[in-house]
Amino acid sequence: MEEASPPLRCFSESHSSELFSDDGVQTVTSREQRKVERSIQEVYSVYQQIHTSPHVCQFLARCQSPTGGFGGGPCQHAHLAPTYAAVNALCILGTEEAYEVISREKLLDFLYSVKQPDGSFVMHVGGEVDVRSAYCAASVASLTNIITPTLFDGTHNWILSCQNWEGGLGGVPGLEAHGGYTFCGTAALVILGKEHMLDLKTLLRWVTSRQMRFEGGFQGRCNKLVDGCYSFWQAGLLPLLHRAFFKEGDSTLSVSSWMFERKALQEYILLCCQNPGGGLLDKPGKSRDFYHTCYCLSGLSIAQHFGNKDLHNELILGRDENRLVPTHPVYNICPEKVAQAIEHFHRLPVPVQTGPTPSAMDQS
Amino acid sequence: MAESEEEVDVLVQRVVKDINNAFKRNPNIDEIGLISCPEARYNRSPIVLVENKLGVESWCVKFLLPYVHNKLLLYRQRKQWLDREALVDITCTLLLLNPDFTTAWNVRKELLQCGVLNPEKDLYLGKLALSKHPKSPETWIHRRWVLQWLQKECSPSGQELKDQAEPRGDAVGRRPCERLQRALQEEMRVCADAAGRYPSNYNAWSHRIWVLQNMAKDNLKVLHDELSSTRLWVSMHVSDHSGFHYRQHLLKALARELSQVGEMELHPTQQPNGESTAGASDDNHHNDVIPQLFHEEMELCTDLIESYPGHETLWCHRRHVFYLWHQWRREHLQEAGSQSPPLTHIDVLLSEEPCDEASASQAMDVDCVLDGSKHGSYTQDTKRLKRGPRLPHPGLPSEHTFVSRILTGCRSPEQSCFAIAYRKWLDSVIGQ
Repeated sequence: MEEASPPLRCFSESHSSELFSDDGVQTVTSREQRKVERSIQEVYSVYQQIHTSPHVCQFLARCQSPTGGFGGGPCQHAHLAPTYAAVNALCILGTEEAYEVISREKLLDFLYSVKQPDGSFVMHVGGEVDVRSAYCAASVASLTNIITPTLFDGTHNWILSCQNWEGGLGGVPGLEAHGGYTFCGTAALVILGKEHMLDLKTLLRWVTSRQMRFEGGFQGRCNKLVDGCYSFWQAGLLPLLHRAFFKEGDSTLSVSSWMFERKALQEYILLCCQNPGGGLLDKPGKSRDFYHTCYCLSGLSIAQHFGNKDLHNELILGRDENRLVPTHPVYNICPEKVAQAIEHFHRLPVPVQTGPTPSAMDQS
Repeated sequence: MAESEEEVDVLVQRVVKDINNAFKRNPNIDEIGLISCPEARYNRSPIVLVENKLGVESWCVKFLLPYVHNKLLLYRQRKQWLDREALVDITCTLLLLNPDFTTAWNVRKELLQCGVLNPEKDLYLGKLALSKHPKSPETWIHRRWVLQWLQKECSPSGQELKDQAEPRGDAVGRRPCERLQRALQEEMRVCADAAGRYPSNYNAWSHRIWVLQNMAKDNLKVLHDELSSTRLWVSMHVSDHSGFHYRQHLLKALARELSQVGEMELHPTQQPNGESTAGASDDNHHNDVIPQLFHEEMELCTDLIESYPGHETLWCHRRHVFYLWHQWRREHLQEAGSQSPPLTHIDVLLSEEPCDEASASQAMDVDCVLDGSKHGSYTQDTKRLKRGPRLPHPGLPSEHTFVSRILTGCRSPEQSCFAIAYRKWLDSVIGQ
């Protein structure tokens, strides 16, 4: 990783000598001063931690559970969502140190511990099933090369049963079609090589109907409001579908664009989803957060870049500075990082499952 | 104004006690909320109880929440003991402020399991939490755990074990079915309330479906009741896609259950879902009820589309209902025996028939007449269907008529858009 800009004053050794030290006579002011300095010290130390690569690796290592998988924070129970995020973050870092944080054997045990007999996965031990879990599991397992012959038994059939009449997928079979769940189910099937088993045409009809005529952005479900995060969950389906149709030999596919209004989406994100102080958001009037920042940017990248290395078409709205790097439509990290991680982990053998089998787990 | 740790401690203990006392004073509290109040005034408690509403003044949250949160974590890490009463109070306070705190719900699971906490009380807390956070995923997830636990407790085997260990004298113990019945009714109410507090509340409606499948076990009476009780609700929430999706689910479940009943009617035995057969008197009972249901739903849809132009959900609902109806009719006609003509033949007949309401009875005939030339002499099929209500069954032609009717004199551009898109869908998806 390249060197950051000149080191900050607050991290220098001599800085702590500037801390206030009173002469023993406490006043309201001196008490307040001490409190302020303490809280500022905390801010600096957190900043330092999160902005250094080894520190990120160390933090994530502390989030890894002794029984495998990652929790939301140190000492928390493993959960598929932070597991997905942690593995992706480590792959973005892409250093040997980062890759080595992941205990592959334990991760495999964790995945088996949340696997259900019907092919689905619960999000955490004792938790509930929904289709996000299949995507999180498929994503981390494929990147780290721990897919065993039985790990995804029945999973593709379960995901397929989540597709409903509308064409989208619900959280579990029988529920309303929803953008987030639809992306997770479809991307998981792509990883498992079974995306062709979906009713691709109705899925295409459903997702393209989700782009809002006036706003340009996407809604999550029929008759709901636009939301910046669906710029990825919904628009991100079009590259997946494009590839699926291509594999089926569809000759009417465009060779220059995904099947949605790319310019309109870019307009929505750039004009309506930016906080003037930085960060991105759901829609005007909402506050910024990291989730919307991530997924608005991911959606912007999807809209800007069509194709792959061999056939690439860029459509950048506004100035060249608006150009983002392409993102991988399945994993949503840079394609180079995906390739690098897969190359690294495929040099290692697939671990053998050591934990208890799914049937032995008490599901009560 | 900065507070010292001791002051915070005192304040928090007081607030937790105030909340507890509020519930003791008024067991009918049905809603909680945050009162926007950035600064404490005088020395007053931040807990406000007015009629059945419990309010928490917002200034105290930044002290209260981290403190009780930390206390619970210390307990969980075995660094600080809390007795059961304290745990109930603390988790209650925590979850009213932040119901997505899974750990707090898990502590309550443990309290339930060791008998300290009553499940109905826990469900009541969840209901209050949902009044402020109607989507809260962890609240709905915890609720399902409690309901499953309650079902196990009330099951015959569960009851037997309990009676052996400790003969129950109270009414609750003697009638577990009633307890579950009440719980079921209450769940539907909670779902309806939450659905009303947030548009298209995915989690509330998903939970309602779960209740149908896991508590009511797709019982026909419950399905019918739900269909009638949600009719008014959806009519007042015409953009609520989740609400209409629920009705689609009900129709599908009813069609499935009634078809099973129909098949079983050939073998008169007790049905597993509580319906007993009426013998072989009308072996086409389900033939009448299911079309009737679809017809009523299409009528409701028509009514709403005409009254409220430009709502995408209504058109989406129409598509789905028509599609379900179309599918059911195809399957049913195929099952009607070898006399049935191939499907394409029927479709051709349908597309040729006149399609306004006046020719309703003729539509009936054409629907089932196997050969146009036999119009005068009735076959067994036509006789059966003629006994049923004389309804114009929805079909491609009647739908096209509907679209034309909407488009003529339509002043809403959205409505025209949706109508045209519907027609396109009819042609490309159904009419293929």
